[in-house]
Amino acid sequence: MAAPDELFCWEGDWGLPSVSTDCLVVLVRVRSASLRRKKSSKTSHALLLPMVSPGSLPALRTNQNETLSRPSDIIIHLRKQKFNADFDLSAKEGADSLAFISLLEEKLMPALIYTFWVEPKNFVEVTRRWYAEHMMFPLNFFLPGRMQSRQLEKLRLLRGDEHLEAGEELEKELYRDAAECMNLLSQRLGSHKFFFGDSPSSLDAYVFGHLAPILKCKLPNGKLQQHLKSLDNLSDFCSNILLLYFPRDGREPSAQKAPAAPEAGDFDNVPNKRRKQFLSALFALGAMLSYALLTGMVSIQHGHQEALEEPPDPEHIGAHEEEGDG
Amino acid sequence: MFVLSVGKIPFIHVGNQVVSELGPIVQFTKAKGHSLSDSLDDVQRAEMKAYMELVYNMLLTSELFVQWCDDATAGEISRPRYSSPYSWPLGNILAYQKQWEVRRKMNAIGWGGKTLEQVYEDVNQCCQALSQRLGTQPYFFNKQATELDALVFGHLFTILTTRLTSTELAERVKSYSNLLSFCRRIEQTYFEDKKLMKD
Repeated sequence: MAAPDELFCWEGDWGLPSVSTDCLVVLVRVRSASLRRKKSSKTSHALLLPMVSPGSLPALRTNQNETLSRPSDIIIHLRKQKFNADFDLSAKEGADSLAFISLLEEKLMPALIYTFWVEPKNFVEVTRRWYAEHMMFPLNFFLPGRMQSRQLEKLRLLRGDEHLEAGEELEKELYRDAAECMNLLSQRLGSHKFFFGDSPSSLDAYVFGHLAPILKCKLPNGKLQQHLKSLDNLSDFCSNILLLYFPRDGREPSAQKAPAAPEAGDFDNVPNKRRKQFLSALFALGAMLSYALLTGMVSIQHGHQEALEEPPDPEHIGAHEEEGDG
Repeated sequence: MFVLSVGKIPFIHVGNQVVSELGPIVQFTKAKGHSLSDSLDDVQRAEMKAYMELVYNMLLTSELFVQWCDDATAGEISRPRYSSPYSWPLGNILAYQKQWEVRRKMNAIGWGGKTLEQVYEDVNQCCQALSQRLGTQPYFFNKQATELDALVFGHLFTILTTRLTSTELAERVKSYSNLLSFCRRIEQTYFEDKKLMKD
């Protein structure tokens, strides 16, 4: 086979390999299938690539230099490359998979979108801050906001209500649907390790991708997390998958993988901070200078350096006297 | 007689209450003591809910896609039908608005880039899943009809009997013989005084 395909995902945090649901789904599929085939797969955590817009991660760049962006397209492509986790499933189990995936997307995903992107406290304190910290300057100023409006529009279209806004009523409804969905998943999982048999299938990947962020991320408004933690078999299911396929991330919550792309996690924060400090110092200096020039405290006359020293003295004294009076 | 609803059909009118959409209607009838799925155990109820979502997710979305995102169908059938109760130009405006709304929704859920072939394939997959689940049983669960049977019947019947520019969608459904006989059986059992389906 030619050069491996490259998968670009959002980074991870809070003990997860990635913070985005779609990325997690694809990662689990790739990991479980490649472990089975004992083949290595190349995954890069990219903060920002010029050709891949950040709203559309995960993205797979194939060896034909084509970029696929929808999780379902990526999974179909992987399946063609024989990265298939589902050939052990019977036809009925395949049908059940499809049904439960639909259940997840209809009942749980809206609540996920709400809790991470629409609920005001959660968005401001956690989501926006995280994405802003993990993006390059100057995109971190407006991109999280743009992602939020896209997610809000998606939620509005999903619910069929153009004027949906964050609020208690909506929250109650969405969380109730999500709780019901989690209960149903818990009932279906029972005491098994995975949903079908002894190895994960695509349904396991989807369930993990949706539940893991809820389980691991500490949000100010954490009602979903409370409910999920009360369902032991689902929490164990998530921890199990983490341990099996992402042992490094599971053990150290703040560890970052060092990817091929040079824009790796923590390292960027330091130069960015320094750059910001330098820029703000420069700006402050420039502001003071221009104020001084404008008010005439400092005047520049070409070729006469003494002029810079003498006239300011009486003017300065004059200024001080005025300040003393005023 | 004009009945003002919240804009969503189907709805039922009981006393002075109006309840619309399938989910709330089911809950309402359950609260009144009539439920079709009481005899199911927890795992079966989970499966039933999941399959209902599958139908909403795939069949309903595919129907909308074929009606509104395929230019031929939209122009020849959906728009004229949608604008027929209104006079020109209001009908045209509303029809285009509806089409635009549906297309936006498709984009939001990731179906915007799909071709008609891909959508037919999705319908095929969905029907295959339903056919697998049904097997040789008379209904999806036990020997009794549940909400899932009602939902599946409604959608499949619509697909089989709605006239579109191409019969491919109906053909795909018909290729699953157990689904076809399921529809006929339900029609005969519950709608025997009215012949709904032409052979």
